[in-house]
Amino acid sequence: MQKIQSDRTCVEKFKPDFHHAEYKTSVEVIGKHLSGILLIKYMPDSSTRIVFTNETGFSFFDFAFYGDTGFSVYHIVSQMNKPALIKTLRKDFELIMFRNMDRSKSYNLADSGYIYHAYPQIKGVNYYITDDQCRQLVKMQRSSNKKPIMEASIYKSSPGNPPDSIYIRHLNFNFSISLKKITPFAAQ
Amino acid sequence: MIRIIALVSLLFFRIDSNAQYPGYTLLNHSETFKKSFARATAATESIQSNFSQEKTLTMLSEKMYSTGKFWYRQKDKLRMEYIQPYFYLMILNAGKIFINDGQKENKISANSNKVFQQVNRILIDCVSGKMLENPDFESRVFDSQNAFLVELKPLAKNLSKLYKNINIVIDKNDYTATAIEMFELSGDRTIIRFQNKELNALIPDSIFNIP
Repeated sequence: MQKIQSDRTCVEKFKPDFHHAEYKTSVEVIGKHLSGILLIKYMPDSSTRIVFTNETGFSFFDFAFYGDTGFSVYHIVSQMNKPALIKTLRKDFELIMFRNMDRSKSYNLADSGYIYHAYPQIKGVNYYITDDQCRQLVKMQRSSNKKPIMEASIYKSSPGNPPDSIYIRHLNFNFSISLKKITPFAAQ
Repeated sequence: MIRIIALVSLLFFRIDSNAQYPGYTLLNHSETFKKSFARATAATESIQSNFSQEKTLTMLSEKMYSTGKFWYRQKDKLRMEYIQPYFYLMILNAGKIFINDGQKENKISANSNKVFQQVNRILIDCVSGKMLENPDFESRVFDSQNAFLVELKPLAKNLSKLYKNINIVIDKNDYTATAIEMFELSGDRTIIRFQNKELNALIPDSIFNIP
C-alpha cells in the first residue's frame, strides 16, 4: 500500500444515520450463539445509546457514546461484564458509527484499486475502504499496528436511513455479529 | 396526640400498601387464593392465545413492542411464537426447551443452569403457574376488583442479580394469567399481555413437537 493524496473527507458521506433503528441480532462467539434485538438511538442530549436485549425483553447491555470520544456503560449483565469484551464491542460500534475520525490525523492509502481512508486511533488504525473514486464504501476495517483484526460491512445504507444490515467479523478470534433491521411497530 | 399519630401512621400505611400496585391490596392470607388457583390450573387442560410484549427502556424513554401466539397444554407443554416484528420460537416439552431464533435452532436440557436459558425458563414457568411452587421465589398476593397480582421476588442469587421482581396478573374469572410483568434491576421492565384466550381447546401434539 502506498500513501496517496486524495480527498480525505469524502468517506464521511457514507456515515450511517442511526437516529432510531432496531436490529435482529445474531452473535457467534467461540462456538457459542446468542441472539436478540439491538436498539440504536440518538438521544436529545446528542449521545447515542446502544441497547441489546434478548427477544423476550431481558436487557444484556446499555452503552452510551457521547461527545467526540466519550463512552459509558449504563448497564451490563454480570456474565458479560468483562473489560476485554466491553472494549471490543465499544471499538466495533465506534467503527460502524464513524466515530473517532480525527481529520487532522487522517491519511489515504491506495491498494489494488481501493482507497484506504485511514484514521489513527490510540492503538491501531480504523480504515474505511472505498473504490478509487470514493463512490462506494466497500468495507470497514480495524487494524492493529501489525495486521487487520476486524472487518465490518454495511448494506443498503441511504442518507437519512439506517443501514438494512450490518456484518462484523473478527479476524483474530471466532467472533461475529450480524444485524438485520426490523421495522418496529406501535402499541396494538 | 397518640391518636393523631396513630391516625397519620394508618394513613401512611394505607398509602404505602396501595402505592406499589394501584387498585390492589395485599392479601394477608393467600392460602384460599393458592387453593383456588391450584384447582383452576388443574382444570385448565389447555390455553391458546395471542400475546403482545412491551419492553420499556426507562432511561431511553423507549418502548419496544412485539406480538405472537401462545399455546399451553397440561402439564408441561408450552409454545411461544413471536411473529412481529421478528420471529422467535420457544417450545417446552417434557422438560426440554427448544429455541429457534430465525438463525439457529437450540435444544436445552431442563437441568441446564445457564442464566440466559433460565430467563426463558422463568417466562414459561410463569405462564404455566409453576412459579408459585418454586422455592427460588418469595411470593406475595395482591387483590383487586378483577384480578389477583402475584408478586415474585427472586431468592436465588443468580436470579436476584437479574430481576427485582416478576409479577403475574391473574384473571379472577378463570384464574389464568392475563399479564406477566418482569422488572429488571436496571429499572427496565417487560410486560407480556395475553389476549383472546381460548381455554381447553384441542391442541394437536405437533404444535409442541421438538424437531
